[in-house]
Amino acid sequence: MIITKKKERGKLLESIKDYQSLFLVGCSECASLCGTGGDTELQELKEALEAQGKTVTGTHKAKTGCQVLGTKTELKQYKDALNAADAVIVMSCGAGTQAAVEMFPDKPVYPCNDSLFLGNMTRFQIFDERCSLCGECIIDKTGGICPLTNCPKGLLVGPCGGVKDGKCEVSQDIDCCWVRIYERMKRIGRLDDLMETTLEPKDWAASQKPRAHSAREDKKK
Amino acid sequence: MTFREALESGKFVVTAEVGPPKGTDISEMLHHMDLLKGKVDAVNVTDNQSAVMRINSMSVCKLALERGLEPVLQMTCRDRNRIALQSDLLGASILGIRNVLCMTGDHVSAGDHKSAKPVYDIESVQLLQAVEGLNGGRDMAGNELRGATNYFQGAVVTPEANPLEPQLIKFTKKVRAGARFFQTQAIYDVEAFKGFMEHARKHQVKVLAGFVVLKSVGMARFLNNNVPGIRVPEELIGELKAAGKEKALDTGMDITARHIRQLKDEGICDGVHIMAIGMEEKVPEIMSRAGLL
Repeated sequence: MIITKKKERGKLLESIKDYQSLFLVGCSECASLCGTGGDTELQELKEALEAQGKTVTGTHKAKTGCQVLGTKTELKQYKDALNAADAVIVMSCGAGTQAAVEMFPDKPVYPCNDSLFLGNMTRFQIFDERCSLCGECIIDKTGGICPLTNCPKGLLVGPCGGVKDGKCEVSQDIDCCWVRIYERMKRIGRLDDLMETTLEPKDWAASQKPRAHSAREDKKK
Repeated sequence: MTFREALESGKFVVTAEVGPPKGTDISEMLHHMDLLKGKVDAVNVTDNQSAVMRINSMSVCKLALERGLEPVLQMTCRDRNRIALQSDLLGASILGIRNVLCMTGDHVSAGDHKSAKPVYDIESVQLLQAVEGLNGGRDMAGNELRGATNYFQGAVVTPEANPLEPQLIKFTKKVRAGARFFQTQAIYDVEAFKGFMEHARKHQVKVLAGFVVLKSVGMARFLNNNVPGIRVPEELIGELKAAGKEKALDTGMDITARHIRQLKDEGICDGVHIMAIGMEEKVPEIMSRAGLL
């Protein structure tokens, strides 16, 4: 899921200082799990804005904020509240915020969160980055562990000289992912693969921005 | 005799490191180069070492050539993508630079521009492959070059890394990618180094053992605690302690000289690489104590 964290409240207030009435949109998916866009956060922000003398014309927690058509349909019921709002604040990731921009071409839309990364929730509201969305998965060659993401240098061939007692040169909190890959390959009896494979330089064309993909077209093929 | 010829002839070679300064005043650096001239087989010019922004390696390599020293261009993958790396390699080649040391490079978080975007478009092994390609007249995209390079390419290895085996795997990949010589991270335990050399000798490559001169007990402890891949044994720390503060540097120089002499006498490796880090003036004295001058 997309990991988000709340922007500093002061920064948000500064960016919306010219608007009196606001409509808030949250998201039931990633942002709810991150504690940045669920019911509690919507209520908290509403109260905080009202404490600043602002008017909140309405709030809605979208089912999936980045699903443009669905969210648009859900928001139809708030037609009046939306019309009354000077601006919309979106409490989701950057994708959800831009979905709102698409829905409200004539209204200012502001993000409430910073989008961090694509991650796994390992414990409640503890998140680790595991995938860089590079466009071409190579973990079939690396024991299922992504060095592009888990190594701060994104090294694809092996560890750098900075590894110290199995830890990364960037931080002792990070296990060297190439040591992890080495140990895993050894455990599953694939060490020879690791010896033999030197991955080609990454094809960054596969992650050329902005990307688009049609699953519908794929289905037809 | 060039650095490459010296290594290929079987001579016990000596290289030393030159760190470009931060700023345009190069007087001290030129002084250090003049001290090394005629004594070492080549000087390595570091590439924004420790991710601290300084004069680039290529310009200083050219100055070294002009002053009669043979340079080894250190090249890291941290600051440039594959286009810039290859472009610089072509540029260095037309300036007469013939040796390149291919490295991944310290992460920007270690340096003085921590908010910079690290590149690492490719890494050391792939950079070696790229050099091999340019030597063969092709760039990384397979395009034919109008004039190939003629590099003698090397790489680095950390013989005392923990765990060692993943490093040895990468070492082997560097050899396969075309590395002709290796300069190692600083070593302080000759017996442990012999173990690494048993592995290295399975390959057709030259190995220069790295040395960083110990200045004090504090420095030895700092290296042990902060620099990955460096292990100063307690006996050596004891030796520095026994020498007392005033004689510590002198003892450190003796230790380095003693180790170099042993490596040479026992034919353990093909040469040494002295990283004096701020004590370049001491390099000729160390070489003399090691019986190399």
